[in-house]
Amino acid sequence: MNELALALGAAVDRTPDGKFLLTLQFAKPGEFAAGAPEGGKGKVSAPVWVVSATGKTIFEAERNLAMQVSRHIYWGHLIVLIIGEKAARHGVREVVSLFLRSPQPRETMWVMVTEGEAKNLLMSQPGLEKSSAQAIGFLARSKAGYSVELKDFAAMLASKGGEPIASRLGSLKMVTTPSLGQKTPVEEVRITGVAAFKDDKLTGWLDPSETRGLLWLKGEVGKGVVTVPCPGKPEKQLSLEIIRATTKVIPEYRNNKVSFTVRLMLEGDLEEEQCDENLTKPETIKAIEKELRKDVKQKAELALSKAQGEFKADIFGFGEAFHRAHKREWRMLRDNWNEEFARAEVRISVKAYLRRTGLLTKPATLRE
Amino acid sequence: MLEGGKIDSKQAIFLLTTMVLATAILFVPAIIAHHAKQDAWISAILATLGGLVIARLQVTLGLRFPGMTLFQYLEVILGKVLGKAVGFLYLWWFFHMNAEVLREFGSFLVAAFMPDTPIIVFIIIIAIISAYAVRSGLEVFTRVNQIILPLILLSLLVLFALATKEMRIIRLLPLLDTGVVPIIKGAITPLSWFGEMATFLMIIPYLNKPQEAPRIANTAILISGTFFLITVLGVLAIFGPALSARWMFPTLNGARMIHLANFLERLEAVIMVIWVFGAFVKISVFYYAGVLGSAQVLGLKDFRPLVLLIGVIVVALSILLHPNILDLARMLGQVWPPYALSTFEVGLPLILLAISLIRGKGGQQQ
Amino acid sequence: MISDQIMKTNVLELPMAEPGLELTRSNALHIIKNRCLSIHQVKETTNLADVIDGITSGDTVLLIDGFATALINGVRGWETRKVTSPEAEVVIRGPQEAFVETLRTNTSMLRRKIKNPNLKIETLKLGEVTNTDVAIAYIKGIVHDDIVAEVRRRLDAVKVDSILESGYVEEIIGDGPLSPFPLVNHSERPDKIAAMLLEGRVAIFTDGTPEVLTVPTLFLEFIHSPDDYYEKFYHGSLIRFVRLGALVMTLALPSLYVAVITFHQEMLPTPLMLSIAGQREMVPFPAFIETLIMEISFEALREAGVRLPRQVGQAVSIVGALIIGEAAVRAGIVAAATVIIVAVTGISSFMLTTSAGITIRMLRFPMMILSATMGLFGLSVGLVTILVHLATLRSFGVPYLSPVAPTTTGDLKDVLFRAPWWAMFTRPRLLGGMKDPQRQQFRLKPTPPETRE
Repeated sequence: MNELALALGAAVDRTPDGKFLLTLQFAKPGEFAAGAPEGGKGKVSAPVWVVSATGKTIFEAERNLAMQVSRHIYWGHLIVLIIGEKAARHGVREVVSLFLRSPQPRETMWVMVTEGEAKNLLMSQPGLEKSSAQAIGFLARSKAGYSVELKDFAAMLASKGGEPIASRLGSLKMVTTPSLGQKTPVEEVRITGVAAFKDDKLTGWLDPSETRGLLWLKGEVGKGVVTVPCPGKPEKQLSLEIIRATTKVIPEYRNNKVSFTVRLMLEGDLEEEQCDENLTKPETIKAIEKELRKDVKQKAELALSKAQGEFKADIFGFGEAFHRAHKREWRMLRDNWNEEFARAEVRISVKAYLRRTGLLTKPATLRE
Repeated sequence: MLEGGKIDSKQAIFLLTTMVLATAILFVPAIIAHHAKQDAWISAILATLGGLVIARLQVTLGLRFPGMTLFQYLEVILGKVLGKAVGFLYLWWFFHMNAEVLREFGSFLVAAFMPDTPIIVFIIIIAIISAYAVRSGLEVFTRVNQIILPLILLSLLVLFALATKEMRIIRLLPLLDTGVVPIIKGAITPLSWFGEMATFLMIIPYLNKPQEAPRIANTAILISGTFFLITVLGVLAIFGPALSARWMFPTLNGARMIHLANFLERLEAVIMVIWVFGAFVKISVFYYAGVLGSAQVLGLKDFRPLVLLIGVIVVALSILLHPNILDLARMLGQVWPPYALSTFEVGLPLILLAISLIRGKGGQQQ
Repeated sequence: MISDQIMKTNVLELPMAEPGLELTRSNALHIIKNRCLSIHQVKETTNLADVIDGITSGDTVLLIDGFATALINGVRGWETRKVTSPEAEVVIRGPQEAFVETLRTNTSMLRRKIKNPNLKIETLKLGEVTNTDVAIAYIKGIVHDDIVAEVRRRLDAVKVDSILESGYVEEIIGDGPLSPFPLVNHSERPDKIAAMLLEGRVAIFTDGTPEVLTVPTLFLEFIHSPDDYYEKFYHGSLIRFVRLGALVMTLALPSLYVAVITFHQEMLPTPLMLSIAGQREMVPFPAFIETLIMEISFEALREAGVRLPRQVGQAVSIVGALIIGEAAVRAGIVAAATVIIVAVTGISSFMLTTSAGITIRMLRFPMMILSATMGLFGLSVGLVTILVHLATLRSFGVPYLSPVAPTTTGDLKDVLFRAPWWAMFTRPRLLGGMKDPQRQQFRLKPTPPETRE
């Protein structure tokens, strides 16, 4: 084990001359051991080491990189694979295949795409975790956006009935606070939406609110927060936590035309309100539910119009749903599914229920 | 007396189950998924049913000659010369099959765990242990298997139970998408695995209740068929048909998928242990059949001097058969099933049964 | 060696006995034997060899002038150790007595447990020089006669100079002479020996040692303890599983550690991996050497603890814990994870107090070599080899791995699970059950009375 260089994160970029730029983030094990000096006690070195090298193939880049690394490179503990925008636009099929073919890397590592160079994200130094790779891993696990594991990404690539998507990463420069012992500016990584692919090439980005819409249409909402304006007071807001959400996609095929009916349902608990409403009144509840419906529908349509209009790519996996329901027709449509999808009519209906209001019925601080 | 031991019906069921299941769970799911896509599980069921029919045929042949192994009644049915000739054919088949299994054994370990180790190391080591077991007789590896099989089945169940989080039943839909022909195509490879029951013909005379042979074969096929079905269903539900067909060993990848509460991860080690244990039993059974058969064809009193010799032959064969793992996969997916099924598993037993009926050889002696 | 009693009898009591009787030359032998010798075991012999034998065994021989017959008086008597509590096989609940060095005391302790005329004890002498008394005990009607005959045959074939301990007998009559596994069990507990006989085994007592051998031996009886049968069956069953786990851990944990650290680093979760890698950063040895050193030191500590006088024994553990556990880690010679692994293995090995435990502890070293060279594959290969070897063994005709392999379903009630006593209907089939399978009545399960006033 002492002869291994443990790679925690990998980043793949394209250089202007068409080569791959592979960047690996290695853990310095000594910094991770229990009782190792924590940051702030006059620590000199960072707990990770980031190296890059170029090559015509990724594997060649890895060989070139190995010449700078004193130990044997070990892929078994890779947490994230970050693909730079340029590399992603160029096509990611060979990148994904490489990481699946080798027995060392895990199929469960996260695949992410970033605007700009992926290398920079591995260089960033997170505040809470010791390495940015771990920080990204925890972010992905918390399901902040739409996190994709390598094998899911590969399955989406292999499927004809849906285009791949992956988390979109960005970074945020934080101000240096010397009082906390920080000497270099901290750069925090954050998830900023979703990267949409068409076949294996990056085709565009979704921002966080479009991402919510995407999650709704893919049926992957799980938990989350919805913030809507107060009924009757558009300048004030209220927030709900989603307790349960379901998505039902019903594909139809009539007169040579594909259409989808999407039924969304959510149940939520009230978490925060600025409206000073008396929630004991059924009308209020009704009104809030209406706002919820509006918000969800709007976000879903936002994502939908982007996918149908701008990308012309079925990033929702509607093709799979269609395949399950109409296997015979699918055989005719599957080869130019994206055009069919772009033409398809999608009807979205939302049902929303406010189930609980926390421990309060009215705002406690309100003067009667 | 070449073999003095006797095994009971339960032991025989265990032995045959391991024999079929050990390699089937790793090598076959990808092959079926390649043909039948999300309907691969239907192929698995078809293969199991077909296996029952084949086993019935083989056992019927075996039961006509109580107390005799395949090689002994070959000479009764076909006469001395022709019997010996067909005997040599069967010997080849046992050697060949064993060599393939050895190769599968080594290939998997090299491909998935230790790419730097020469494959011959794994093959020789497992061959030595099997030689030790075979030399010690039928009873010994049967007993070992009685401990191994429950462990294998239990680990498989635990693995799939832990992987349920990754499974989506929806990935099995739509039903019958590819049509009937691919499903049947997909069923042929697992069928040839069930057809390996022909090896049972070497064991029937050493059962303490030979009349239970049909029940033994059926139970063994149903148990291995069930677990095979679970494996195929699990793999499909985890990866979907497209990816399942692309992995070399989808079951292994399924086990790697498991992560439980940040504590249990990458249970592929379990697969490796299952593999070593199961393959050991499978190799021992075929090895034993080859050794015992050789002794009977050559008319020897004791099979033990042959163990080493045949071991060397089979190991050499396993190295020479394939230049690489893709060739092995092609062999298993395309060449082996028609070759084994048409001659040794169904063809010859059918002909032998027909001739013995026509010539009135064998049959229940009262 | 000769008790004072015999001298008293001859010198003091003879003249006083039966004053009316006249002692003549012709009836002297008769009178002395029947009237004077108040000793329970008097044997008449004309054979010189018997006389010598008697004298060397501690008997008194009375020779009377004019008679060609000698009277051998069985008055052996010597200083013996008192019956004490067992040293090696301690139980919390159960009888606190152990066998001693005297054969007759031991057989009488057994008789006190099984008051039945079917308990047969046959004695014979082994050892050309030592002439050691050896006794075979079995319960007629429960034991399989073939096994008794086989024990007799093998004991008769023993032609050695000396039998100083039961271990001599064990190695000569046991099966699998080259196997590292014990194919003969032994115990110093009368209750355990009685239970063994009641299951249909044969016990072999050797004079001069408290350890009594039992055959046939099954591998899994080494994870049994008398406590299992005395405590509630839940506890008895669970603790057997724990012991089985300890057995596996003792055998495989260090090799698993070596294999994972050397070959299969991906199997650890990333945070744990990083932490272990961090600890190992300063360690100058490969994991195998490191673990090997630690395991050998552990064995040394253990041996030292056993041999040293009890007062000094304390010091060993202090030095061991302090030097190896603390200083070595601090100095960066050994990773903390390795110490933890070795310690857990050690604790597991403490649970295996039987002779199989020694075998398992020994086998973990070749297992470590296998996994250091071939990783998990080596470990699996080692396990398969051990299994195959175990399957080839038979102890007095009974497969060593039975009743698990070959499986006798009915006997599984008392292997890992310990069925409650009201459900122990049958005797072990391959042992006593062959002859008389039924041990007790059915419907023994206690139920409350149907009506209550």
